[in-house]
Amino acid sequence: MKYKLIFMATAMLLTIAFSGCTKERKINTPGNLVPKTVDQDPSLPSITINGAKLHAEAFGSPDSPLLIIVHGGPGSDYRYLLNCKAFANEGYRVVFFDQRGAGLSQRFPASAYNSVDVAINDLKAVIAHYRTSPDQKVFILGHSWGAMLASAFVNSNPAAVQGLILGEPGGLIWKDVVDYLSRSNKFSFFSEDLNDAIYFEQFLSAKEDEHEILDYKKQLWSSAEDGSSIGNEGPVPFWRSGSVTLSAYFETAEREKPDWTTNLHKFTTKVLFIYSQNNKAYGLEHAKKVSSAYPDVQLFQTNDAGHDMLTFPRGWNNTYPVMLDYLNTLK
Amino acid sequence: MKNIIKTTLLTSLLILANLASSQEINWKSLSDERYIVNANAGFSHGIVWGAGFGYQLKTKMPLILQAEYSFPSGKHLIDDFKSKVGAQARLFESGNIQVSAKIHGNFRRYENSLVRLVNFGSEMSAAAGYYRPKWFLAGEFGFDKAIVTNFRHSAHYRDMFPGVQDGWFEPSTGGNFNYGLMAGYSFKTSDLYLKMGKVLSQDFKSKPLIPVYFQLGYNVRINKGN
Repeated sequence: MKYKLIFMATAMLLTIAFSGCTKERKINTPGNLVPKTVDQDPSLPSITINGAKLHAEAFGSPDSPLLIIVHGGPGSDYRYLLNCKAFANEGYRVVFFDQRGAGLSQRFPASAYNSVDVAINDLKAVIAHYRTSPDQKVFILGHSWGAMLASAFVNSNPAAVQGLILGEPGGLIWKDVVDYLSRSNKFSFFSEDLNDAIYFEQFLSAKEDEHEILDYKKQLWSSAEDGSSIGNEGPVPFWRSGSVTLSAYFETAEREKPDWTTNLHKFTTKVLFIYSQNNKAYGLEHAKKVSSAYPDVQLFQTNDAGHDMLTFPRGWNNTYPVMLDYLNTLK
Repeated sequence: MKNIIKTTLLTSLLILANLASSQEINWKSLSDERYIVNANAGFSHGIVWGAGFGYQLKTKMPLILQAEYSFPSGKHLIDDFKSKVGAQARLFESGNIQVSAKIHGNFRRYENSLVRLVNFGSEMSAAAGYYRPKWFLAGEFGFDKAIVTNFRHSAHYRDMFPGVQDGWFEPSTGGNFNYGLMAGYSFKTSDLYLKMGKVLSQDFKSKPLIPVYFQLGYNVRINKGN
């Protein structure tokens, strides 16, 4: 009886001890664990398109040919592509933007991403926002998911773009994406990567609209890979992950199994298609297969770099001159 | 006064402790052994290895004080771990039907390239099943609450987000329900058991990335009391 009382008292004391007390610091308060988004921090540069406030900025003369930088993910941000500012010194208007629900752009519920058309329409609206005249040329540089999105946009609007640089899009049809991901996302069940990716889930949980926690968890999950599996030199810079947009677009794509190649034969301008030497999950064979949907392709292997070849010095230095030559021939 | 001191000491131990998932007991094969040593392996937010120790009090209601340490596989074996201290008691018995409950305090740690997390939590669970001297089959339901968590971010994360807040975060930073089945076989002074089930976040909607758990465990009961 004595021990039963102790057991019951302990249960009560634990409940009391852990249920109240001290000053609250919440994990879902904007700015505590992840940066605020543009709708929460008006000091951040932003544009409003299609009812969404996007984190965006542009460099170079407004009337110069537009170079729209489209980041990967879905759910990453443009911080890792800021080397591309260099094109502004070469006579281009370089536009960076975080996609809806990603980086420092405004967050939305999963239902807002019911089709990849949402992202395509946003890209169209970003171009329209920055374009100062109908004869201003438009070039797109898309990386990874951004290269897939750029291709999806060109597939829907073949005449809207005058030049296209693609860096390792997973695929332009769903099967190619799945094949690539099965190679690039390999991990061992006994590895540190698995712990880093999931062990924290006993510490943190979030409701489906708690973007601050969801994005933080996504960042911890993303950091589980140090980039070595896809040949990177180190961790990729970021502002803030977009968890909901990532899972929503994947669910959408798994359901719709998209094919973004149906109209690409109409895009007759040469495409600069970049793949990296050190990302063993990609390689020449996959680059040829994915790029084959375009009629005219210049394949380029960036030596001494991995998937994020535009982020780190070696990859950037090896790729930038080729990209600049390509753009200058179309300028 | 003596009882208050005992209760406070026990509470302190529990607060220093961890999650209640292992050291499953076959109440029908348990007699008056005082010590239970446990080894276990399985999957619970990672491939996890654990060891535990139990001490049975001399009480009418079977009551076992427990302590356990577990850690996930990986290159760095001490950066992530979970420890727990608590108690498990059989609350009800009718023939071969038995109901038991556990309460544990958790202390756990996680570290990756972005952050080091330290957490105090609690776990409560209940099991009900059919227990025979040689075997048992039971269902369990539990809740693991991450009550208060300390964040210390790495220099790399601070480079990415200089405004990030370090320190203790509360109220609760997370919680997961678990529910599943367990079965065990007892022989001589040993129990071998297997348990498995699903994990669901506290909002009853979201789930962890891999929302399952399983554990294979082995108990040795030693040192019969007099």
